[in-house]
Amino acid sequence: MVSKEEIEHVAKLMRIEIDDHVVHIDRIQKMIAYFDILDKANVESEELIVREQTIDALREDKYIPYDGKLIENLKNYKGSYVRAPKLV
Amino acid sequence: MSGHQSWFDLNLGISALKYIGEIKNGNLTAEEFISKTIERIQKVDSKLHAYLSINEQAVEQARSIDKKIKAKENVGACMGMPISIKDNICVKGTKTTCASKMLEDFIAPYDATVVSKLKAEDTIIIGKTNLDEFAMGFTTEFSAYGPSKNPWNTEYVPGGSSGGSAAAVSALECIASLGSDTGGSVRNPASFCSVVGLKPTYGLISRYGLISYSNSIEQIGPITRTVEDTAFLLNIIAGMDPHDNTTIDNQNENYLNDIDSGVEGKKIGIIKEMTHEGVDKQVSAATNKAISNFEGLGATFEEISLDMVEYSVAAYYIITATEAGSNLARYDNLRYGYDFDSEGYEFNSYLSKARKNFGPEVTRRMILGGFVPSAGHAGKYFLKAMKVKSKLTAQVNEALKKVDMLIAPTVPILPFRFGEKIDDPVALFLVDINTVTANLTEKPAISIPFEISGGLPIGIQLLGKSMQDKMLLQAAYALQNTVKLPEVPI
Repeated sequence: MVSKEEIEHVAKLMRIEIDDHVVHIDRIQKMIAYFDILDKANVESEELIVREQTIDALREDKYIPYDGKLIENLKNYKGSYVRAPKLV
Repeated sequence: MSGHQSWFDLNLGISALKYIGEIKNGNLTAEEFISKTIERIQKVDSKLHAYLSINEQAVEQARSIDKKIKAKENVGACMGMPISIKDNICVKGTKTTCASKMLEDFIAPYDATVVSKLKAEDTIIIGKTNLDEFAMGFTTEFSAYGPSKNPWNTEYVPGGSSGGSAAAVSALECIASLGSDTGGSVRNPASFCSVVGLKPTYGLISRYGLISYSNSIEQIGPITRTVEDTAFLLNIIAGMDPHDNTTIDNQNENYLNDIDSGVEGKKIGIIKEMTHEGVDKQVSAATNKAISNFEGLGATFEEISLDMVEYSVAAYYIITATEAGSNLARYDNLRYGYDFDSEGYEFNSYLSKARKNFGPEVTRRMILGGFVPSAGHAGKYFLKAMKVKSKLTAQVNEALKKVDMLIAPTVPILPFRFGEKIDDPVALFLVDINTVTANLTEKPAISIPFEISGGLPIGIQLLGKSMQDKMLLQAAYALQNTVKLPEVPI
């Protein structure tokens, strides 16, 4: 069983605050416990499928200016700057 | 009104193809149909909550299309038909909320490719439909704006996550809709609401403008009342897009041509793991009936075992949570979000606080998405899930060498009541057992409405070879024509 502390630690790393033990931690524990079913799948020797994309299939590396006023979609901005909280 | 048909006789239940015919014959105007559709929405949507927002300019847009028709100008193939769009697909200048509080004020700055293609054919986007928040769920109960109801019985869930789309199509609140399908989110609600839902081959339809959840397996797909309408929409929205480099060249396939080819001589595999254990008796009986109807049309059957199906739901949740954990990290409430000033907050505490506007299921999947691929756990969870995906793909490919397509019920159980499964995550997991395989293996799959049992719909699923979406539609059309279903009771 994955511990409550471990889940809280991951939540912190994902920058998510959780305060309801029953709504979140118990259910996440149940979900992770269900994933144990994979231990029976016997797939250790399977190769992974890799999606290949050749360079010529990519679109041209060209700058296309966007003329929409995206900044106006923001809630907190000044001029052309996004307002963000202090980093340090 | 200018049409020949009486205003009150106007049938909102007609198919897209019939609508186009009526417009061409001058029996109907786009304005009449759109006005009546809006009246219908006003009448039933307070009970169903299929829509999150309605296009206020729809009637005006219909009028301008009618004008073009009258003046014999070039008009797009859709001729003003009302189509709804799941609210995780961008329609320029309109709210695109993903049914999340996080995006409650987000106005899409551009059109998704599928939306541009529909608009170019003179479709009227009538409104945006409800879903489980960020498409994570199978009942719409995780919508931050409240669930949609099943038009066949409003005490039951409509399925999800594209539940609003399926309910709207089923309840005649639009002719068709676009949903998205990551693990069954088009097919599951299509089955629960007795409409057609297609998850196309991975790459067939551009996802530019679909708000990302799990890119490696999700697809946009049409929801319609007839198989022909799905083929018609696929003709419009499928194909290469420079904005989505996972798209595949479909050689401009016409999915509607030869749709009546039938299934004579086709071999169909019955997926053992999806038709026995855990399948409701009535669903099982309906599946057997569908098989016998197909046999009557000249198809032959054999049972196929795909033992990886047992692990598919776990693999699906691990892969989607991992991708969601990364995709949803962009919601920092700085570039997208709601009104919450950063003044007085330090960076990390601001983000954590802002993300409290994610609903419970999204929160849990974000945490799972941090956990399952993390150092020390990736080998047990993520890597194993990817290996199950590989092995399942190999098994399905092998099966499709022996047979032309596979059959199973879309959902192993009947639609259920609100609240019945929402508190048990594992019970909810198993609702997806028959649908996730198509996503994990990149195959096309379609749900066809087949029976109404005790007032509740049952859908049958066909799964085909990659890029053989056309053959799948032909078989679906044949099955559709073996049944006559009652009209929706709402």
